[in-house]
Parts: sequence; C-alpha cells; structure tokens
Amino acid sequence: IPVVSGFVELTIFPTVVNLNRIKLNSKQCRIYRVRVNDLEAPFIYNDPTLEVCHHESKQRNLNYFSSAYTAAVSAVDPDAGHGELVIKVPSELWKQGDEMNVLKVYIEFSLDQPKGGLHFVVPDVEGSMAERGAHVFSFGYQNSTRFWFPCVDSYSELCTWKLEFTVDASMVAVSCGDLVETVYTHDMRKKTFHYVLPIPTAASNISLSVGPFEILVDPYMHEVTHFCLPQLLPLLKHSMSYLHEIFEFYEEILTCRYPYSCFKTVFVDEAYVQVSSYASMSIFSTNLLHSAMIIDQTPLTRQCLAQALAQQFFGCFISRMSWADEWVLKGISGYIYGLYLKKTFGVNQYRHWIKEELDKMVEYELKMGGVLLHPTFGGGKDKDNPTPHLHFSIKHPHTLSWKYYKMFQCKAHLVMRLIENRISMEFMLQVFNKLLSLASTASSQKYQSHMWSQMLVSTHSFLKSISNVSGKDIGPLIKQWVDQSAVVKFFGSFAFNRKRNVLELEIRQDYTSSGTQKYVGPIKVTVQELDGSFNHTLQIEENSLKHDIPCHSKSRRNKKKKIPLMNGEEVDMDLSAMDADSPLLWIRIDPDMSILRKVEFEQADFMWQYQLRYERDVVAQEESILALEKFPTPASRLALTDILEQDQCFYKVRQGACFCLAKIANSMMSTWTGPPAMKSLFTRMFCCKSCPNIVKTNTFISFQSYFLQKTMPVAMAQLRDIQNLCPKDVLNFILDLIKYNDNRKNKFSDNYYRAELIDALTNSLTPAISISNEVRTVDNLNGDVRLILEEITRSLNMEKLLPSYRNTITVSCLRAIRMLQKNGHIPSDPSLFKSYAEYGHFVDVRVAALEAVVDYTRVDRSSVELQWLLNMVQNDPAHYIRHKILSMLGKNPPFTKAAESPLCNEALVDQLWKLMNSGTSHDWRLRCDAVNLYYTLFGLTRPSCLPLPELGLVLNLKEKKAVLNPTIKPEQGLDTTEMTGNTMGVHIPVMGFTSSEDEIDMESPHDSQAFIHHHLNILERPSTPGQHPVKHPARIILLSDNLVLFFSRTRCTSTVDQAVLSLPVTPLPSSFGKESTSSSKHSGDHHHHHHHHEHKKKKKKKHKHKHKHKHESKDKERDSHAFSNSPASGRSVRSPSMSD
Amino acid sequence: MTVAVHFLFLKDDRSATPVFSHGHLYVLQRSGCGKATSSPAENYQLARRRTLQVVVSSLLTECGFESAEKATVESLTEMIQSYISEVGRCAKAYCEHTARITPTLSDAVVTLNEMGFNVDTLPGYAKRSQRMVITAPPVTNAPVIPKALIAGQKRTHPSHIPSHFPEFPDPHTYIKTPTFREPVSDYQVVREKAASQRRDVERALTRFMAKTGETQSLFKDDVTAFPLIAERPSSIPYLSALLPSELELQTLEETDSSEQDDQTDSENTPVNNLNDDPGADKENSVLLAGGVVPSVKVSEENMIDNPYLRPVKKPKVRRKK
Repeated sequence: IPVVSGFVELTIFPTVVNLNRIKLNSKQCRIYRVRVNDLEAPFIYNDPTLEVCHHESKQRNLNYFSSAYTAAVSAVDPDAGHGELVIKVPSELWKQGDEMNVLKVYIEFSLDQPKGGLHFVVPDVEGSMAERGAHVFSFGYQNSTRFWFPCVDSYSELCTWKLEFTVDASMVAVSCGDLVETVYTHDMRKKTFHYVLPIPTAASNISLSVGPFEILVDPYMHEVTHFCLPQLLPLLKHSMSYLHEIFEFYEEILTCRYPYSCFKTVFVDEAYVQVSSYASMSIFSTNLLHSAMIIDQTPLTRQCLAQALAQQFFGCFISRMSWADEWVLKGISGYIYGLYLKKTFGVNQYRHWIKEELDKMVEYELKMGGVLLHPTFGGGKDKDNPTPHLHFSIKHPHTLSWKYYKMFQCKAHLVMRLIENRISMEFMLQVFNKLLSLASTASSQKYQSHMWSQMLVSTHSFLKSISNVSGKDIGPLIKQWVDQSAVVKFFGSFAFNRKRNVLELEIRQDYTSSGTQKYVGPIKVTVQELDGSFNHTLQIEENSLKHDIPCHSKSRRNKKKKIPLMNGEEVDMDLSAMDADSPLLWIRIDPDMSILRKVEFEQADFMWQYQLRYERDVVAQEESILALEKFPTPASRLALTDILEQDQCFYKVRQGACFCLAKIANSMMSTWTGPPAMKSLFTRMFCCKSCPNIVKTNTFISFQSYFLQKTMPVAMAQLRDIQNLCPKDVLNFILDLIKYNDNRKNKFSDNYYRAELIDALTNSLTPAISISNEVRTVDNLNGDVRLILEEITRSLNMEKLLPSYRNTITVSCLRAIRMLQKNGHIPSDPSLFKSYAEYGHFVDVRVAALEAVVDYTRVDRSSVELQWLLNMVQNDPAHYIRHKILSMLGKNPPFTKAAESPLCNEALVDQLWKLMNSGTSHDWRLRCDAVNLYYTLFGLTRPSCLPLPELGLVLNLKEKKAVLNPTIKPEQGLDTTEMTGNTMGVHIPVMGFTSSEDEIDMESPHDSQAFIHHHLNILERPSTPGQHPVKHPARIILLSDNLVLFFSRTRCTSTVDQAVLSLPVTPLPSSFGKESTSSSKHSGDHHHHHHHHEHKKKKKKKHKHKHKHKHESKDKERDSHAFSNSPASGRSVRSPSMSD
Repeated sequence: MTVAVHFLFLKDDRSATPVFSHGHLYVLQRSGCGKATSSPAENYQLARRRTLQVVVSSLLTECGFESAEKATVESLTEMIQSYISEVGRCAKAYCEHTARITPTLSDAVVTLNEMGFNVDTLPGYAKRSQRMVITAPPVTNAPVIPKALIAGQKRTHPSHIPSHFPEFPDPHTYIKTPTFREPVSDYQVVREKAASQRRDVERALTRFMAKTGETQSLFKDDVTAFPLIAERPSSIPYLSALLPSELELQTLEETDSSEQDDQTDSENTPVNNLNDDPGADKENSVLLAGGVVPSVKVSEENMIDNPYLRPVKKPKVRRKK
C-alpha cells in the first residue's frame, strides 16, 4: 500500500503586519499537526473542489456546474492568497508579527494511497520492489504540488528548497536541485537523499520520482544524469546520445548557460503526459525510449527532449506572475523549440510544422470559438467571462478543457513567431536573454526575496522588454492576438485586367461566425509572374475589398526565357497550360503565415499546378495539393505524379500528394487510363528491376524513400473502382508487399512499415453487401476479405511471439478488425477489444482497443460498453488511460445533445454528474475531460432526458446562476462587514444574509453546512491555541459530517477578530521551505505502519485528556513525534485500517 | 577346462591363421542363430563354427561329461573362438610390429606366453593318448572378399615412393567431390521461395500456438476459423514493447559490418549538405549522426564526479537522549 509521510517546514517573512492567518494549499494530505514557531497552531482544512456542488438537488445543468467549479477553484487559488489549509498563527506570535519577524510553520502530514499528485507503479510480479521495477513519480496538470505536500501551490511564490527523501536502499530518489549527499538510515535498510535547490523556485515546479532506476551519466555533460527503469539502459544510452546538442543549441541562441547546476531526466511508466518539466529535472514517458533500429520514434523523442529543455529555461527557471501570463512562457518555450526544429530538422520541417499548428488552431477556434491568450478579469460584471462561448471558465488553469489548453499553447508560440516577424529574431533573442540574465542575477541574491520577482515574467514586463530592446510598438499585434480571441478568415479571388495589366484582387473576410475576428492592417501577397516573383503589401481596411496590383510582365513576351522564382532560382516551365492573356502563374496570400488566419483562395487549376511544381515553399506546395483535390483532371494527375517522383521534394509534401492522387483517381474513375494510380510509380521506385511484382528487400537507408514507401500503399488502398470496391489489382499488390517483405538485411526495424501495410489493408475495406449480423459467418466471408483476415490473423499472432516496437502491428491489427466489424464482414463484437484494453497491455495497444470499444459503443448504442468504459475511467490505475477514454468518448460520442438516444437516461446523467462533481477531484485534467464529455452529450442546459423539474426548483436554478457556489461568497470584500457585525449569533444571521441576497435554496443540508463552514473558515477560528488542536484533523476528513458539531463549538467559544476578514491574507512565504518525505512501499514500511498503528491505539485512549503539556521541551515532542499528538481517533473511523 | 582350451587351440591353429589376415571381423561375427543363411561367406563361417562345436563336445567327452546343455556348449564355443581370435590378433600385431606381414611361429609363441600360456606343455598335450581325432571341417569355399568398389582411377606412386608401399586408396577417399546441385539463381524464384517458406513457418507456428494455447475468435459460428492467440496481460508491458526482440538484435549484429560503412557515410553527408539545401536531407544525416556515441573509456567514467555515483554515506552516530 503506497503510503507517504512527511513534514514540511516553511519559513515565512511576513510582509504585512497582523499576519495571523496563513493559507496554504493541500489536497488529500492527512495533516497531523501544525506548529508555528514551535507553538501548536490550530488549523482548518476545507477543500471545496472535492465536491463542487453540494446539492443533492437535481440541478444537473452545466452552466451551474461550471460557475460553481470556477468558484470552488477560485476559493483556494493560491495566486489570490487562498488555500485549502488555513492556519491560525498563535496569538503569542502576533506581536512578533507586528515586528515582521520570521514565522516558521511546521506541518506533519501523511498521504495514504494518494489518488492524484503521486503515481505509484507497482507491477504485480514476484520479487522485491526493486526487482519488480516499482516506482513512483509526481505528476499533475499545472500547479498540482499540493496533492503531495502542503505548500503555496503557485507559480509565483518562489523560495529556495531543501528536500530530503528517505526511501528503500534499493531505490533512487530523484528530485529537484543538487543531490548533496545520500545517507543510510540507522538500520541500513533505507537511504536518505538530501537535495538542495538554491535557486528560488515555485512549489509547483517541484517534483519527485523514486524507483530502482538505472543511472546513466551523460557522456558529454557530466552534470546531466539520466534515469530509466531496469533493463532499459541500452535504450536510454541511445535515446540520450543526442541531448547535448539540444543543450548547446539553446545555450547558444539564448547566450545563456543552462540555469541550474544539474539536469536530470527520468523515464517512468504510466506517465501522465509524455513530457513534464520541473526545476532542474524532467519526467518523461518511458515509451519515448527506443533503440537504434527505430526510425519513426527517433525524431519524436528528440522533439520531446527539446520541448522539455526549452521549458527548463522558460517555465521552470523563469516562472510566471499569474495565470494570465502563462502564454508568455508557453509562447517563448514553444518558439525556441521551433527554432530548434528549424535547425535540426530543416526549414521545410519547420514551415510544415508551423502550418500544421496554425491549421490545427484555426480549425479549433472556428469550431469551438476563440482561444484567449491573455484574459483580463475584473472590471464590470460583463467582463467577468471574456469567453462566453465556452462551457468552462478560463479564469483558472484547472477549469480549462485539455484540448483548449493544447490549442492555447499552440497559439502562444504562433503569436511569438508573429512578434518575431515584427521585431526580427535578433531582437527577440535579445529579449529572452535579457529576461534570463535578469532572472539569474535575481536568483543569486540570497535572502533578498524582493529581488526574486525578476524571476517571474508577466505580460506587462515582457512587452516592456520588447519595446525597450526593439524600440518597436507591437501594441496592435498584442491587442489583436493576445488580448482578443479568435482568428481571421479570408476569402480571396482575383481577375486579371489585361488592358490595364493589373491584377484585381478581392479579399473578403468573415468576421461574424464564431471564432472569427476582423483584421485590419497589412497583408502580404506574393504574385509569381512570368518575369519573376513579386511581393506586395496590401492594407486591409474596413471597407476596401478590392486591391489593384500592377503586373510587371507582359504576357507571353519571352517564351523561351527561364522564369525566375522567389528564391532566385531560374527554371524552365512548360507554359502551354496557362492562360495566354495573363502573365500570372500563381498568387499567394499571406505566404509567411504572419496572420493567424485561414485563407480560402480561388485560382485556376493550372495555377495550382504551377504552384505545386515550381513554388519552393513547402507550405505553398501543401496548399496547392489541398486545392487540387477539387480539380480531378489529367493535368493535376501529372503534376502530382511528378511531385511524387521528385526526390528533391520534401517528403511530407510527397506523402500528401499520395493521398491527393488517390482522391483524384477516384473522381476520375471513368476516364482513368493505365494501371491504378501510384502502382507503376511504386513498382519503379521500390520493386526489383527483374521482377516488378516483388518488392526489394528493405534497407531504409534513405528516410525520405522510407516514408514514401510506407505511405503509398496506404493511399493506394483508398482507390475505388466503379463498384466502389478497392480494385483487385491494388489489393493483390498490397498482399504481395506483405508477402515479399524481407527485412533480414536491414539494420532498421520494419515494424512501422508492416503496420502501415496492415493499415493499407484496412483502407481497402468496403462495406459488405449484407450487413445483418446473422449472416456474418465464416462461410459467407468474401474471398478478398478472407485473404485480408488471414494476414491480420497471422500478423496479430506473430506479435505474440515476436512483439514489435511499441506493438505497432497489434495496434494496426486491432483497428483493422474493428473496420472489418464495422463494414459487416465479421460479427460486431467488442469482447476482443475489451480484453486488449485491460490493464497490463502496452499503452498504445490499450488506446487502440479502447478506441474500438468507444466506436462500438456509438455504433451499437451499447449501454453495457458505455458502463464498462466509464467504470474504467473511475478505476483504471493509469491516469493517461482514464483521460484518453474520456477524450475519445468526447471525440466519438455515443450520442450528442442533438439526437435522441436510448443511452441518454437519467442514470447516465447522474453518473457523469457525480464523476465530474466529486469523482475526479484528484485530477484536474480528468475533471475537465468529464465536463467536456458532459457538454458533448447534454449541452449546457439541463439534459433533456431528465424529468421536468418542479417549478420552484426551476426558479432557484435561474437565480443561482448569479451566485452558485456559496462557499466563495464571503471572500468578496462586501460581505465581510455584514458578517463581522453578526459574529455573536453566527448561525441565524448568516442564513439571513444568504437568503436575502441569493435565494439559495436551502433544501439540502449540505449546502448550508458548506456555506457555514466556509464562513467559519474565513472567520477566525478562535480556539485558544493548544486547547483543542488535536480535533482539527478529524474534521479534515469527515468534513461534511462533522460540520454541525464544529459549528456549534465555534459559536460557543467565538471571539471574532474583525481585522482578519478584511485583510487580504496573502502571506508571502518567500523563504526556506523545508520538506521531507519518506516514501514507503517496502517491507521496511510495514514496519512503519505498525508503528503508526501502535501509536494510534495508544492515542485513542489518551486522546480524551490529551496534552496540556504542549509547551514542554521541544526535544521531547520531537521524540514522541507526530503521533503523540495523533488525530487518529477521529479520522480512523473512516480511514482504512493501516495494518496490513 | 583350461586343458580343453589348449587342446583346441592347437587343433585349430591352422584354421585360425587365415582368419588373421582378413582381420577378426569375420571371426567375431555371430552367425547361425537358426537363420537360414545362404551367402557363401556365412556358409564358410557356419562350417568353422560347427567344427569348433565338435571340438568342444569332444573335449567335454574327453573330460568325462556325458552330456551338456546346448547353451553351455555355445558359451564354451564362444570362449574358444574369442581366445583363438585374440591369439591371432596378437600374433598379427607382433608380426606387424617387426615390419612383416605374415606371422611366424615365434610370433605365436610370444603371444601365447604373453597370454600366460606355457608353450612347453603344448607338445606333451598334443601327444596325449586319449585325444580324439576330429575331422577337418568340410571344405567350403573361402568367402570371397567383396571387391572394393573402384571409384575413379587409382593414382600411381610418384617417383619418390617405393613401389612396395601400399597403393593409394581410391580417389574418392581423399578427393572432394562436390555433390550439390546448381543453385537456383533466378532471383524471383528465390524471393518467392523465401517468402512462402517464411509464411509457411509463421503460419504453422501460429497455428500450433493457437491450437495448444488459449484462443480468441472473431466468429461465433466457427471458433476455429481464424484463431487468434489469446492476449495475455503482462505485468511490465513496456519491456517487451520497447526492447528489441532477439531476432532483431541478431539482425542488427549481422548488419553490423555494413553499418560501419554507413557510419562513415553519414559523417560525410553533413559536410556535403552544408552546400546543399539545408532543409532537404537534414533528417537523414542528423538521425544517423546521433547514433554514434562517443566511446567513453571505463577509466574515464570512474573519474566522473556525479552525485548519483558517489557512495552512500553511513549514518552519523546520533547520541541517544
């Protein structure tokens, strides 16, 4: 049983007088005691995000939930000075506080089977924990450190750290900072790792991982250490052999040393995300590791490493002032990662990537509404929600949909690129260098915490740096893309006026549909004429749609002359296709992607063809490929074929051309002559000269050819004949490719290639003639399908004996089988997928299987499978899988709000509601996924399948929209006066207050309790220090049940301090945090448990008379340790027995 | 018994001698056993054997036995035969040792002495009064030694070898005779064969696995139609998914030699690329170049100061209160 126990020591330098309450973040920790300067301090623990809506009422509408959730998150937002844990500074220290003396807060806590924050991977095999490869690592979405120790879980609260971890002797604890020493415990069964992080760091950037790691010191940089799970060392060696080049690259462009004195990479199983960066260490998924034989994974892994390293500079070392400044960090790290891509993988890859990111983001914004980089809140009520189109609030990272956050990051780096376009890369890098050097100066200022704010970046400071360095005003740019959401949508068309020799260009905008905005400003248009390529900058203004662009060349003047291109190259072109009257070859709008836009441009097919053949920019080539889909002519066919054959051309363009050619071939079906598209091409490129039906033995020396070889069969399989079947030729061709595939002489693995051949088989499938489930028998199997099925069966079976890297072939086979089912060739049955989806398979296989189950659920409207999936969401050990299920359900929903479905019923609503309301409180991302799914299924309003609520309730519901979660109400300054005025009779006035203002329906006791409880939270808890401190922890756990009791007691003893309420209680715990966690998982720990247990038993007896000996000698207390003061009796009612 | 044996030896001395020259293989061969045999060689031996039996029987009679079990007689016969054979073999060995090819009397005498037999007693024994006269074995044709198959032309001695030396053996004993057929050199056929062979092996193997283990099926009506080997969850699934299989490792080793060439190639390409379009071939060269790990010597590694490589410290002794 994973149990962690530890203590935290925070040193706080108060910046305000009268600091008498300290708010910290803490989730799921069991807190045993809190002491401030060696005095026992009372504390309250309330986590409103545990259960967002306390109503048992049947609200069930998402608007209600979203506001309540936002309110709950706000209520514990560390940036606003709030927290789940409120500690009252003992009154003895108040005077000291006036003198601004240091406060030392000491918290003892434990984590019992944490559900979030820390993930334990304990494989179920024989052997010791180390032999089993058991390990643990911290994870989370944004600031999630509070899940594993109490802290100010904000990116803006910096402090230096001393960290100690006691773990089993066979394990290594890797954490942030420098490992100072490792010391055995007295029994020699455990080791304590002592880390010191002298660079001020936010708690949210602290992480930990413990496991029986194999250690690899980087051969190029001895300060860099890599860790992987047992047996993977050879892979680690290979995968990390490139890291030093990334280091060199970043240090060179930033002209700045890597800020930390060491760097650690840890590769763990069941990772939450592929890459997560923390101060001086990054945690990666172990699935990024690969051997030298693997081609496809290599660039991906290097990209992940580069991302992680970029975030070390911007994100970890330089942190953010507030959530609204997140875009700067994500933008810069994404931008310099882009520079790395450009340098390492080439300009083509870089431009392709930018286009891909831009398209992705534009598509999302047009579909879902805008993504706002820099939300500003406050001001009038209208501005409270700058993104009313979204079903979640963007006020906090923890309320964001995951997809939105991804698009947010995408937009951030694209905007950085726009800034670069504006001020030049040189200035851009100077700005980064300035930020870094300021920060590193600040970081070396020990004990001068006010200087440390230089290590935080804000939108304001960033923009100021830019204007200082470049002297340019980028205000309009920022206003357009950062302060405002949405993208621009252009429609372009043109006409050539022969008489005036002028190109009349018309550019229209759509700024009314969702996710669009109006653009006013310059736009670049590139016109390729016969005499050369010319750039024109047009001004997009309010009312001008038409732009006249004078042409430079007379049409057809010099027929024999070579045509100069943009890059200075001169080429011969066959100009017979073009319009004899016009000198225009092609036109491009905003070729540099310096506007976040979507362009739909109309030009003639031959212009697209010229653009594809002769324009050297890969973006232009990809655009023309997309456009040519609409022109299924022999000329398009020829242009595409030529591109396919040209090995100078970027391989991704050629891959794109394959699919386009398949589409064109299908459209031209009746007039198509010759063999199926691409067949002869493939034969010429990849088959033996002497026997054209047999493919050459694999070598994969040229990666460009390799990628093309992989793609072509997949595209060919999309071809259809007149009966809408895949041509027999093509199918046999693919089957032959599989049959003759020979990898014996290849030093690279062919697993991805074989997987794509299976994908090709999948693509060739078409619906069976009869689809009723009874007819799907072996005897009725179509001959071709039988052949396909045979291949799939054999491949899948061979995988069991000789598994491929990342089980790519299994993944493809599962997809193929689902496709066979869907097309009615074999009986539709989810049981195979369900077995592959179970825990214990490789994650890619699980995801593929789950995807099939999700698809089955939708097609067959199966409530059994839906339940099964939701069950897995709640119980699966791997967080990634849970997340993946919900997002796949969201992408391929079993039903939507638009359509009726038997699946849509009250029970499901309740279940999902419960899931997002309380079932996912340990994982921000998962909760947002659940919200997303709920939105997809039921929309914002009350699900239609629910019975009509009673009238009264409806009214309530409407009024609630304004206030919703009462727990936060008192935080607003207004209310405090009223509150404090009524302190003596707390209960009644509070009720009166609420009802008068918000009409909260009092139908549920929970609600009011929570409400009251929260008020009390805010109110001083006036217990005399040392009087009843032991009781508090009990309250922590049994929150709702104990409330009443607690409340009444409070009333009795209440002496309210009015000052507290109005205070913006933001303690600045900028200071030394001291923290030690002993992660216990082993036999040694069972020991530990018994220890606990015994103590607990003793305590139970003692507990009632408890200790007034509070202020006795310190030493004694230390010895008697946490449990002399154990809160256990109250808590143990619920907590599972700790003895095994 | 010993007496009888001596006698027998003498009697059979002559007949044993020719055996020597042919090697004892024939003598030791167990023949008879009731089988109706017909080959001349076997007939010849049967006759000898029968004579031996007569000798044994007469000796037994001489010693005063009235009857003997057949098995006993057989055993005694066997012993005599062995003894004679051994004497013959030894005598032959002695004779060859002195570089002769025909054993002489002295060879036989030495042999007998060597075997612990007092030769001096022999004349007396031979002249004993009650000895029985045994008829000579019927004259049968000495077995024809099958002619060795002559393969090829025997080589004659070269001039430096005297002619009395043995002849060369048949050429096939020392000349390599290629026996394989001309390989099929048609590329298409080779590939075809390799592909179908592999496919057959794979299919047989997976079918076998499916038959012997648990399976999953895609069809409800015919569970055996396309059997899938049942998946088995593994406790550490990433190991098999990430580590190259043994087969792949083997392939890697085999291609290792060629890889060295490739590496030198890859070191050259980036240089060439500088002049070319930087975007085009970049992925290639970078990926390849990344694979070359610097060879850090073990000694060097020891000198690396990395906190994770430092020894773990012993706990400080803390004073107990």
